[in-house]
Amino acid sequence: MLIKLTGGTVYDPAHGIDGKVMDILVRDGRIVERQHDGERIDQEYNLKGKVVMAGAIDMHTHIGGGKVNIARTLLPEDHRGDPVDHTELCKAGCGHAVPSTLTTGYRYAEMGYTAGFEPAVLPMNARQAHLEMGDTPIIDKGGYAMLGSDDLLLRMMAANKDQNAINDYVAWTIHASQAIGIKVVNAGGINAFKFNQRMLDLDEKNSHYQVTPREVLQRLSRAVHELGVPHPLHVHGNNLGVPGNVETTLNTIAGVDGYPLHLTHIQFHSYGTEGDRKFSSGAARIAEAINKNKHISADVGQILFGQTVTASGDNMSQFRNAGHAHPNKWVCMDIECDAGCGVVPFKYKDQNFVNALQWAIGLEIFLLVDDPWRIFLTTDHPNGAPFTSYPHLIRLLTDKTFRNDMLSRISPDAQAMSTLASIDREYSLYEIAIMTRAGAAKLVGLHDRGHLGVGAAADISVYTDNPDREKMFAKPDYVFKDGELVVKDGSVVKVTWGATHVVKPEFDRAIEKEIAKYYDTYHTVKMDHVKVTDQHIADDGRGHVQVQACQGRREKLA
Amino acid sequence: MSALTLTLKNAPEQRIDMAPLTPDNLAGKSMADIAAIELLSGNRRLRVDSLFDIAGDDAGNLVINNANGKLDFIGRGMKQGSITVNGNAGSYLAFQMRKGEITLNGNADAFAASGMAGGLLKVNGNVGDFLAAAIPGDRKGMKGGTVIITGNAGDRAGDQMRRGIILIEGNVGAYCASRMLAGTIGVMGSVGDHIGYGMRRGTLLLFSTPKMHATLQDCGSHTLPFLSLMFKSFKGLPSKFGAINRNRVQRYAGDLANDGKGEILVFI
Repeated sequence: MLIKLTGGTVYDPAHGIDGKVMDILVRDGRIVERQHDGERIDQEYNLKGKVVMAGAIDMHTHIGGGKVNIARTLLPEDHRGDPVDHTELCKAGCGHAVPSTLTTGYRYAEMGYTAGFEPAVLPMNARQAHLEMGDTPIIDKGGYAMLGSDDLLLRMMAANKDQNAINDYVAWTIHASQAIGIKVVNAGGINAFKFNQRMLDLDEKNSHYQVTPREVLQRLSRAVHELGVPHPLHVHGNNLGVPGNVETTLNTIAGVDGYPLHLTHIQFHSYGTEGDRKFSSGAARIAEAINKNKHISADVGQILFGQTVTASGDNMSQFRNAGHAHPNKWVCMDIECDAGCGVVPFKYKDQNFVNALQWAIGLEIFLLVDDPWRIFLTTDHPNGAPFTSYPHLIRLLTDKTFRNDMLSRISPDAQAMSTLASIDREYSLYEIAIMTRAGAAKLVGLHDRGHLGVGAAADISVYTDNPDREKMFAKPDYVFKDGELVVKDGSVVKVTWGATHVVKPEFDRAIEKEIAKYYDTYHTVKMDHVKVTDQHIADDGRGHVQVQACQGRREKLA
Repeated sequence: MSALTLTLKNAPEQRIDMAPLTPDNLAGKSMADIAAIELLSGNRRLRVDSLFDIAGDDAGNLVINNANGKLDFIGRGMKQGSITVNGNAGSYLAFQMRKGEITLNGNADAFAASGMAGGLLKVNGNVGDFLAAAIPGDRKGMKGGTVIITGNAGDRAGDQMRRGIILIEGNVGAYCASRMLAGTIGVMGSVGDHIGYGMRRGTLLLFSTPKMHATLQDCGSHTLPFLSLMFKSFKGLPSKFGAINRNRVQRYAGDLANDGKGEILVFI
């Protein structure tokens, strides 16, 4: 099967291609260099004047695992209010902030996204996370396993175990949860919450284990680095949402011995305490720190106004914010001593000073960080806004007039506290392609995705160039997934099932003895039952595991 | 202008979601537009003119004739005008209604007035269970407005009700006013078991002493002037409650297992 995409304007930052008119050949799901002699072209698409990019990759989106389901259960009105009919091809679904699995897959594909990564896979919940993602059609997926507040790690750290033992445990966790990276949420804080601590600063000790968040970050970032996992430690920092947490975040950037970190939804961690209301933007300082520290990357976690739901493992901050729940109901819970979970529905309002400033802070960070390879476009779906608002967000970044127009409508007090109006930068299509494709693939460690080079998987989205970038990115002309046309004119035309991307770093299996003992002593299940095998993911004949090589990690600061 | 009249042609096989047919949705639409509106029925969509004969032109004054118990969500979220239903209505009558008036000449099924926030619902007949109650997943039932039932209501009437007035001229089933948050329910007939179960606040007006569980406490007999004022406000309502003027009651407080700020007033 040979497909030819003719004459499109290609944006492929991984190969430095910025708007070059060229043809792309796809044979059996992969991009190839040339036609064999005498080979027939089976399908040809004339893409003259169209914009061609690799399929977009959402590197941080909550689409699977316990908390998403809790959010669905908690918000029946979210489902009733947004029903989606079945069609000839697609099954029925529902949901605005937390759509059902099927609807999630269709909606992502219909925006030109071909992969999404669930950032909080609890090892204990990994099976459910993979089952849910396995039920999400078309897009590829993967997850970051969550460590840092689990009793075993804190026990090992309290006992001052050798770093090699930690490395083995981290690698074992990646294998057991079929993950592509490691995430730490409020390092140690979820655990400290269970010992009645309601705040935990970077150098504050867990009252039981006597371990500080900084130590957790140091141990884990080093482990991830030494194992050669391409995705740096994915960090949801301490003190999420607390005014003044910009200091904590800067401290985190400085304080992990130069090991690479990815700071996620950094907008929620960039608040100062200036001004009459003791709430201000720390965006400039954060952006400066990211610009200076090449081992740091971040995704923004932009908020957009409207009803959504926040779902996080960080039960310490979710408990703190529960009073703001809208509608007034929330859940905070422990999950098998592995971590926690907090689900708080939220409505961001443009006339609310704090929400409006949060909106501006996110955009400031986007625009002040120079290197689009190290800043990523997310709303922390669904925490800042549902992923369906990405086209709107792209327009805010690429169109200054539109942005200032939107800025003029938010709370005047927030406008006065923001420097957004004075920032002239507009993202180019090339930079958008870096953020959402090439950069994201490199960050996650997807070697054959996010670019259009020879050998890459043919995940391709094609748009009609339109000065209104919101309209342009909301409705691609064509989306190809592994060489198959899945979306035409913004509607699904074929339902396929993507792969689950994982890494499998080497480690010493002897660690299983210690882990098994821990599970036997303290847990309700045996260690062997926690492990998710390749077969579990492929079992229903829809998904399969694709192992990405452990190479191309970001280097440590010398 | 004559009232827009929809006459159901045949008894439907499947339940029909009538939500699109409210005066505010139909305002300004031509006959052809209205005829082309599609209603959900199971997994199918049916055009209005395939189900109903359409006559009249005043969409602000909608009449549904020959109605059947399979017509759900009549008057869902309506904000203006009036709907008159001749025949029975299905579940979720006046669901999340905001304003206006619905008159049903027949019986309604479960969850009538659920989520209702304003306006008047008059049922000349009986209603099923969960009158003015919250649907599963919601934390509040009726949030405002007035409901008048000339017949009986089923179980769980006023479950998690938050505000508004329900006047029932007949009997009610078990668990009346269970988990009630606030509001007023008057019942002229008999009430079933477990009245006021988990009631938090709110007022129940009864004409005979019901069977009460242990956490409803007798607070003695009182003459309450506010009752005179309240019945005065009922004067204009199309209900037998409009003719009452009594203010001597036995007062019970409860449910003490759940805050206990609710009251059950029984006329003596």
